[in-house]
Amino acid sequence: MVSVINSEWYKLRKSKVIFLLFVAPLIGLFIGLSGSFNAIGAMNEWYEKLVVMNSTYAILFLPLISGVLASVICRYEHQEGGWKQLLALPVTRGKVFLSKYLLLILLMLAMQLMYLVSIYLVGMIEGITDPFPMDIVWKSIFGGWVATLPLIALQLWVSIAFKSFAAPFAINVIFTLPTILVINSERFGPYYPWGQPFLMMNIGGSTEDVFFVPWDQILTVVGGSFLLFFIGGYLYFLKKAI
Amino acid sequence: MILSLVKADFLKIKRKGMWLLCLIGPFGVVALQMVNYGVRKDYLFEQMDDRWLYYILNINTFTPLAIVLGIVILTSFMASIEDETNAWKQLVALPVSKRAVYLSKFTVVSCIVFLSSVLLFLFMFGYGLTLGMGEDIPYLRLMEYSFLPFFAALPVLGLQLWVATVSKNQAIPVTLGVVGVILAYSASLLPDWVIWKWPSLSNEWGHSYINALLGIGFGVFVYLLGMIDFKRRDVK
Repeated sequence: MVSVINSEWYKLRKSKVIFLLFVAPLIGLFIGLSGSFNAIGAMNEWYEKLVVMNSTYAILFLPLISGVLASVICRYEHQEGGWKQLLALPVTRGKVFLSKYLLLILLMLAMQLMYLVSIYLVGMIEGITDPFPMDIVWKSIFGGWVATLPLIALQLWVSIAFKSFAAPFAINVIFTLPTILVINSERFGPYYPWGQPFLMMNIGGSTEDVFFVPWDQILTVVGGSFLLFFIGGYLYFLKKAI
Repeated sequence: MILSLVKADFLKIKRKGMWLLCLIGPFGVVALQMVNYGVRKDYLFEQMDDRWLYYILNINTFTPLAIVLGIVILTSFMASIEDETNAWKQLVALPVSKRAVYLSKFTVVSCIVFLSSVLLFLFMFGYGLTLGMGEDIPYLRLMEYSFLPFFAALPVLGLQLWVATVSKNQAIPVTLGVVGVILAYSASLLPDWVIWKWPSLSNEWGHSYINALLGIGFGVFVYLLGMIDFKRRDVK
């Protein structure tokens, strides 16, 4: 298993694709520095930054870029019969799928951490003197990562199914764009898997729990969609004709 | 020559779901407002005296995002149908100029996006009628907000097609597209010269036709740049 993950890593390591991860902090810096927001009047200046930065980042960027990463990780195999070569090795299909997924979520975690750095940088550049609310930021960084786990599973599934980048991306877009509207709804928002990154990263939620959304919502919506997409993709890959 | 190339390009995208996408884009943008108005129609009617205008503006919050993402998908797709089977070499080996090849791709993508705009007009008009927002229908505004975003998005189309045709790895144009859509989403924070702001039709002067004219002018410029670069490059 470790060797399969290693080989996935080798395929990515020297490709310029790692630069993709740096897009996240750049976007963070852009959103954080492009506007001046002082309407909220919160007690800590960091909160204002976090509200604005996290919303754009989590509504559109995070779901979309996770799809791109999933396509990237299948790109080598889609070229020149790579699937045949990979699966001719003494590895099971299940392990290949699992190691691709694990590498993907590690990359997403790395991206979230870089975004964290960009939040800090924005504060430094703007000269925010309030104490950095580390506990809140951690919640939202880690929560956003947990919320993308099911989305990554679905994107890995469709990226394995389609050869081109355009088709998985189109599916991703179709589900991601409605988020802008859905999250405004108290009734439907909590049940929409693509809205979860925003809800988990939005610092307005309850502070007693580990995350900003209640546990039962995480377990049912995030957990449920994760199981559906992951098992669906896993079974699809086991049966796929290469 | 160019006509047969365009025909060939249309043949290549047959049964690949691109026409479906052309329908889903405008339909989705209007369908989101169907849900929005279905859930809280009374509240939305109170927001502005001119109910038609408010409805059109609501639709226009999604149009730029859909257009930018649609362009990203279409251009990346047009490039990947050649990439996947190493068909660039075969295509260029035919007795056609590389400039015509590029022009044909550009034409096909523009045609699909333009057709989407026509559909957007029809859907926006059709659903607007069912809402009962008064007798005097603002035809001119409806046309403005369905067709001008297309013209204003031409520079984005030119840029995405350029990057998609010259990159071997389609992750690059798609990531550029993701960045572009973030810019389009934060249009109100951006200065007027950012091309991703133009499809939102807002500018300092308050005239939406300026964005469309700028779009056509700068779109032709980016198109020419892309074409010249495509022609000079070695075929992958």
